[in-house]
Amino acid sequence: MKEFKLNENSKITSGFTTPEGYFDQFTIELNNKLNLTNTEIKVVSIQTKRVLTLVAAIVVVALSVSVYSKIIISNSEENNTTENYITNHSEICQYDLIALLDKNDIENLSIELNNNNSKNDDEFVNSNDLYNYLTE
Amino acid sequence: MEEKEFILQLLNPKTQNNAFQKLLSDYKRPLYNHIRNIVLDHDDSNDVLQNTFIKVFQNLNKFKGESKLYSWIYRIATNESITFINKKAKLGGTTTSVLKSKMVDNLEADSNFDGNEIQIKLQKAILTLPEKQQLVFKMRYFEEIKYEEMSIILGTSVGALKASYHLAVKKIEILMIKD
Repeated sequence: MKEFKLNENSKITSGFTTPEGYFDQFTIELNNKLNLTNTEIKVVSIQTKRVLTLVAAIVVVALSVSVYSKIIISNSEENNTTENYITNHSEICQYDLIALLDKNDIENLSIELNNNNSKNDDEFVNSNDLYNYLTE
Repeated sequence: MEEKEFILQLLNPKTQNNAFQKLLSDYKRPLYNHIRNIVLDHDDSNDVLQNTFIKVFQNLNKFKGESKLYSWIYRIATNESITFINKKAKLGGTTTSVLKSKMVDNLEADSNFDGNEIQIKLQKAILTLPEKQQLVFKMRYFEEIKYEEMSIILGTSVGALKASYHLAVKKIEILMIKD
């Protein structure tokens, strides 16, 4: 009877094969599944991009608000300085102020005065307690 | 590079990507062969191989370094393969041995098998062995894994593995000369 020796005969392989390029394709598919890359290029994910855009937007808004509020504060400081200047310099008399008014300013003032007068008239008519108004 | 250093690179988010690519490059071919020897079909092997690498990647932080990385990865691949083939047989309403017999019978028609008559005969002879002996024979004969490594992967003593392989060879040698 013929003998068969596994370890003495030439090696018998399993005979299993793979499709061409299978292992390269496998690497690509697995990396996609695990969200990895087989190069050193750093890929910024969409999520990270969104976060960076949001942070940038917040910084721009914060800077705009602080610059705007500084402008407002500086304007009100200028107005206060002018008011204080006028108040503290008593040598400026009403004639000096009138001299600074132009025609338009005078017309606006007269309109305001007329409005105030008509308001007063109505209040007098409708009010029962005239004494308070007269004494104020 | 020492294995401990390589494991640290795998665990460090900054070096993990490159380290995993190296692991993939080193292990994809031998692991595929190991899995294919158990599950027999190429498409099934592809699925199991993917699952194996995904499990390795997801459980790297749990790897304690008590065994070699090689043994740990092979153990995962072996467990995944056995679980897969058992599940496939169950879904088909049959046993694992019957399923494997059908698959070996169809090997000639498989486009991813280019074996000759002797190779088919060897595959059929292997199927006559008990499950564990089949695994030991394939790992030793086709993959040439050392008994010491096999012992860690399969959790069996080196002596028992040697005895198992010796018995398997004897049975196969008898079957190979039968018509």
